[in-house]
Amino acid sequence: MTCDCDELGRRLTELRDGALGESDCAAIQHHLDECQSCGALHKDLEDLAQLCRESERPRMPLAVRRRIEQALK
Amino acid sequence: MTRTSAEEPRALLFRALDEHGDRLYAFALRMTRDPDLAADAVQEAFASALHKFDAFRGESNIATWLHRIVYTKAIDLIRQRGKESPLPEEEDMDFGPDDERLARTPAWARPPDEILWGRQTKEALETAMKQLTPLQRAVFTLREVDGMSTDEVASVLGMEPGTVRVHLHRSRLRLRALLSDHFKGAVRP
Ligand SMILES: [Zn+2]
Repeated sequence: MTCDCDELGRRLTELRDGALGESDCAAIQHHLDECQSCGALHKDLEDLAQLCRESERPRMPLAVRRRIEQALK
Repeated sequence: MTRTSAEEPRALLFRALDEHGDRLYAFALRMTRDPDLAADAVQEAFASALHKFDAFRGESNIATWLHRIVYTKAIDLIRQRGKESPLPEEEDMDFGPDDERLARTPAWARPPDEILWGRQTKEALETAMKQLTPLQRAVFTLREVDGMSTDEVASVLGMEPGTVRVHLHRSRLRLRALLSDHFKGAVRP
């Protein structure tokens, strides 16, 4: 696989999804090890993903739940 | 006791409200960015689900089905309010110069961990997410915040997994660029 920097960004999303074959994964890993700016992009996107996992989920207000229960009766 | 067919949808939807209510509300709130509209979207979704419960037969997962209805309701409400653009069907699928420019955003200035993972960054993330298009917000929220698989997101939004990845990639790049400004101010030169 040829792996230029623009292409790599897109491939990172596929990589995380497990949507790539072994040789593509290896080519991406090689590029990430060699290319500083893609390595930094990868790190930022991993941190972004972790931030999202840790973000608080707003809870449904009780009044809304009651309205829905009423609608379901 | 055997349930009558009329009771079964109600019982299932009550259970879904208990199990998935918070997730559905959080999704609606991120989509509409307005607590009143989010409440309307979720309430209308449950009412609609009860009304057309037969459409659920054959679907494997009630949570996915309810997310799809909430999404449709939220988009309808956003459209009625008429202040957001572009809406999903207007969104460009092809990568363009804008995407390439975003990909070349300078890397985050690395703030200390307490700033990187702190409350202000989480607030900045919420603010940044409001700047995504509705479709990007839906894809990003379901995949990254809610933790659905790409296939599940595709099922909720009625699109191919590859299309989900295109929008996910774009939303990640945009958020990275938006948060880059937040971090710039957080790191002493
Ligand atoms: Zn590169």
